[in-house]
Amino acid sequence: MLHRAQFILGETLTSLRRHGMLQVAAISTACVALILLGSVGMMLYKLDAIAQSLPRAFEMEVFLKPTVPRARTLELQKHLSTMPEVAGVQLVPREQAWEEEKRRYAEEINLSDLPNPLPDKLIVRTHQPEQLPQVAARLRAHPDVDEVLDQRETLEQVLSVSRLVRWLGLSLASLLMLSAFVLIYNAVRLTILARQLEVRIMALVGATLRTIRMPFILEGMAQGGLGGVLAAVLVLLGAGLLSDYMLKLWPFLNDLPPGAPATLVLLGLPALGMLMGGLCAWWAARRFIRIS
Amino acid sequence: MVELQGVSVVYGETHALCRVHLKVEPGEFVFLVGTTGAGKSTLLKLLYGAVRPSEGRVLVDGQEVNRLRERDIPFLRRRMGIVPQDYPLLPRKTVWENIAYGLQAIGYSQSAVRRRVAQVLAQVGMGTRAHAYPHQLSGGEAQRVAIARALANNPPLLLADEPTANLDPDTSWEIVQLLQQINLRGTTVIVATHNRMIVDRANKRVVALDRGQIISDVPRGGYPAELDKLYPPVALVQDVPSIKPRFL
Repeated sequence: MLHRAQFILGETLTSLRRHGMLQVAAISTACVALILLGSVGMMLYKLDAIAQSLPRAFEMEVFLKPTVPRARTLELQKHLSTMPEVAGVQLVPREQAWEEEKRRYAEEINLSDLPNPLPDKLIVRTHQPEQLPQVAARLRAHPDVDEVLDQRETLEQVLSVSRLVRWLGLSLASLLMLSAFVLIYNAVRLTILARQLEVRIMALVGATLRTIRMPFILEGMAQGGLGGVLAAVLVLLGAGLLSDYMLKLWPFLNDLPPGAPATLVLLGLPALGMLMGGLCAWWAARRFIRIS
Repeated sequence: MVELQGVSVVYGETHALCRVHLKVEPGEFVFLVGTTGAGKSTLLKLLYGAVRPSEGRVLVDGQEVNRLRERDIPFLRRRMGIVPQDYPLLPRKTVWENIAYGLQAIGYSQSAVRRRVAQVLAQVGMGTRAHAYPHQLSGGEAQRVAIARALANNPPLLLADEPTANLDPDTSWEIVQLLQQINLRGTTVIVATHNRMIVDRANKRVVALDRGQIISDVPRGGYPAELDKLYPPVALVQDVPSIKPRFL
């Protein structure tokens, strides 16, 4: 077993050394495909992080009718807290709201002599941003509620853009994966053709199919893995440079959640490359290496 | 050792072999003779599972080859040595490495490889050429290396397809003598050839094939008369009427 493993590893290394141009072609192909995949992946990760942070920015304000007594407001607050979609309900009493208004406009107008025109207000947050419209609709139908401000349109726009980017990203990533698959498959096929004599001799002496095919599969994994390492380094460098440039242009971007961690990219892309290379090579080896 | 029972091989509309019955006992030396396309190579390929019969049974050492799955064929091939028509050698490896390569591919340890390669190189008379590369070898030497590689696993059966093709008569006879020595040590040898000289000189069992059928099977003898009747030997050059080149 150990001797066979040595043989397989030796064959893989020999092939990697001997067919230099083929290796360069396969590794660069894998690298380009993985750079594009990595970039799309990082964009999706960032968008996901933004989408996750959105609910905090989208809370609805529920204004009760001015005639509703405090006891009924508290009752409604309690009822809302029991709803499964609701993450939190905060009461802003009309007195507190009026004090804040007076402070805010203190320099422009003196509101101290006027009667308080404001109603009680409830600030409601849901667990998921998608749940906000449903809860708002139910509250609007409530007899004690005067008005609900939920920024539904903004939320729906952000969610639809997020969905669009996700679908576009996934479609693009799938297409790139497919093209990378075909290119690596072709590179492995050419390697098999270049090593036809070795394959034939191994088949004649009684080497198992696994022994004959394994060096090609390892070679495909090495090509994909090396392409992945290169792609990870280039993607991280590119993302760093782009991020610095964009932060200089739009400093508010600093408030957005951070992108994909470097370790995830450095481990993920080579692993993906190895998987992709190995699968392509396995497929090509199965197709082109036969002994009967 | 080897038995073919009513074996046919059909490639599209061509019948490469047609209901062939053949039995080879352990320790025998058999020549398969016939013209190009007679079915000699197909018959050998049937024995090592490179071709599947359209009908009939192929038995090697009691094992039905035609029923073997692809993944089981390597284990059949380890019990036989195969010398293909073009005796393929790896050009970037020395003689020693070429023979070792086959053994390493089937999992021999380094020490076993060293021992076995030295033995077979001595057996085929190539001990002094162990470090030569294939391009430094003559045709006969390259053929000996191919035979050594086939023998490296110490198989009880040796299949050689046209082992003397492209070799001069003296070297051809040396190769046949080597195969006879291997046979004397107990290995069953089946040689496909259309080389009349070696068949006549060796005086072994000769099975003649024509268009996929066995037309004669003699336990000892020379090139079969049946084939001579069907395909008379080519006339010498001086007997052929001169042909003037058309554009000169």
